[in-house]
Amino acid sequence: MKTNDAMRVLAAHRGDAVVVCALGMAANEWWAVTRSEDSFYMHGGMGLAATFALGLALSIPETPVWVLNSDGSLCMNLGCLLTEAGQQPKNLKHFVVDNQCYQTVENMPMVNQNGADYTAIARGAGIAQAVLVDNLADLERQLPEIVAAPGPYFIQLRVDAEPDYQRAPPATYEGPEMKYRFGRAMEKKLGIKVFGPRGY
Amino acid sequence: MDVNDQIHAQLVKAGVRLAATLPDDWVNSLIRRVAKDNQIRHVPVGREAETIAVCAGAFFGGVRSVAIMGNTGLLTCTGEMATLTLRHAIPVFCIVSGRGSIDDHKVYQEVQGRRTIPLLQAYDYPYRVIDKADEIESIPDAYEWHRLQKRPFVLFLTKKLLGVKNA
Repeated sequence: MKTNDAMRVLAAHRGDAVVVCALGMAANEWWAVTRSEDSFYMHGGMGLAATFALGLALSIPETPVWVLNSDGSLCMNLGCLLTEAGQQPKNLKHFVVDNQCYQTVENMPMVNQNGADYTAIARGAGIAQAVLVDNLADLERQLPEIVAAPGPYFIQLRVDAEPDYQRAPPATYEGPEMKYRFGRAMEKKLGIKVFGPRGY
Repeated sequence: MDVNDQIHAQLVKAGVRLAATLPDDWVNSLIRRVAKDNQIRHVPVGREAETIAVCAGAFFGGVRSVAIMGNTGLLTCTGEMATLTLRHAIPVFCIVSGRGSIDDHKVYQEVQGRRTIPLLQAYDYPYRVIDKADEIESIPDAYEWHRLQKRPFVLFLTKKLLGVKNA
């Protein structure tokens, strides 16, 4: 399964979900497919995307929140699964794009490559719903049920490692602009106030 | 009303509705006080950097939050704070035990006692040390100010303020 193809399937089933992307390849592919500004493309804090998404999900409990995590980011903070399980957020879906390598740094192999079972780790942490999906047909078939089910739900997407990470360049804005575009998109989409009357 | 009740009351006044926490014996009573409030979502985390991430995410949900932790945890997560919150200019309000102060004689606190504040200065994270109960009422102002600063802000609570005896 190619990452770009998996992102296209996810985008087709996204509905109203707000999306948080860990930095790297998955974020770049999500941007390439959706160009969506109600997605947050994290440019730092490797390992923290899932916990950031948890904080967001708890703050907007009526809105579905998806995190597009990466295997590298998950490995950097496996404890995020415990924190997530402790809250049992009904509106959070945790996707992990697993290509078994650090693609943005010359495809260097993932720690304990081929030796870890992320879905078992997620279940062990207390996320009862955890599945591995390794082909597009299964993703198409399973996604409606995953989307409809209450969270938390952990979905490991096994994708192919691809040699050219620059094939999908990052979003065309970053840093503080990411904050304001995403924050304004949240205000518009959800009718909430992220910023005060003077803009901060 | 003890000091933890007073801090909690000022956090409520500042509009805080979520607290991400990791225990340290100096701030455990505050964590318990906040967790008792049904109007504040309590999010215990696995390591201190996650308090920052939870609060950063809550910011975009329009929810005011606080990260409560020990000085050791703050010291270890300053780099991740930088790449997430300085990178994206996200305000996060932190309440941290002032461990390693001259009246804290635990050997495993001495590094953070000497190096945390210089490290905060290097990153340009604003901070304030609260040593007296009558300074607690400055919390709502500090909260508004940290949003304007668009970066993490650290409020240190001293041993004297917290009335810690044996920790």
